[in-house]
Amino acid sequence: MRYRDTGQVHMDFHRTTNGTIAYLRQTHGQDLLDETFRRTARDVYRSIREDLERGDPGQLLEHWVYYFDRERGDYTLHRNKEETRLEVHRCPAIAYLQSRGIPVDPAFCRQTTVINETLAEASPFTIETQVLGQGRCVQTLRRRA
Amino acid sequence: MIPSDHFVRYYNEVFKTLLEKGREHLVEYWRELGRLQIKELADRFRKGGLKACYEYWKRIEREENCQATLLLTPDYFEFQMRRCPSLSKVLDNDASPCLYYCDHCMGWVEPVMKASGLYAVADMKSRTEPSCVIRVFEDKAKADAWAAQAQLLSRPYDEDIGQG
Repeated sequence: MRYRDTGQVHMDFHRTTNGTIAYLRQTHGQDLLDETFRRTARDVYRSIREDLERGDPGQLLEHWVYYFDRERGDYTLHRNKEETRLEVHRCPAIAYLQSRGIPVDPAFCRQTTVINETLAEASPFTIETQVLGQGRCVQTLRRRA
Repeated sequence: MIPSDHFVRYYNEVFKTLLEKGREHLVEYWRELGRLQIKELADRFRKGGLKACYEYWKRIEREENCQATLLLTPDYFEFQMRRCPSLSKVLDNDASPCLYYCDHCMGWVEPVMKASGLYAVADMKSRTEPSCVIRVFEDKAKADAWAAQAQLLSRPYDEDIGQG
């Protein structure tokens, strides 16, 4: 895995992410906001993206598990022949914002949706993100038909 | 979810996106960060002066895993960053760093200090090494004198921001 952070987790960066998303959406619009996520997927997560393009989802799944565990998220990972499904029961980022009474920006979950779409766009996979609200979502990785 | 550990790499992408649209958009974003931080911090620094600055950055040193030395003197508070965790992550990255990444720091510190009646000076030394020195003064003349000796002064709101 390209990035494997250790040491103290600074959860307050989720507040800054939320504020950044709100500012970009309100000042520049959703297209520019989404572009920041596409760049993050293409360049920051280049290693994960290139593995997916080679047909290997291992690093993405390791990344999901490592960081949801590190931030004490509540999730279940289901795997079968057809698909891998990450069911997030309690997103640690949203839980953190809610615990401090910070309004969650309506575009907050674009970070997950757009990054997943961009990671998969040139790969033999699709990654569908269903945002269910209240910090719950389902992210499903499937081979394209 | 972008993990909190990866926030600064995302931030770096935000800076590059705004810079490509025009430097004024990046500068305006720093102004917004300054406005938000003024609400959080200016009152505390105005009332508590240099000691309040020391206490605030002492907490940041611990929470953000900085390698830093803090000094409080009668004339100034100094935060000597020996290894900036933020720029270190931006450099340990498959994406390229924004040329002005370091400037976002003074982008919020400068307006907060102005609103608090204090004078901050940051010597970045280099935009590609994760170390710098920030001093906060109560006396503008002393701040100006120290700024004159800086290797690479951070002045994010100047027309000529510098390339070093």
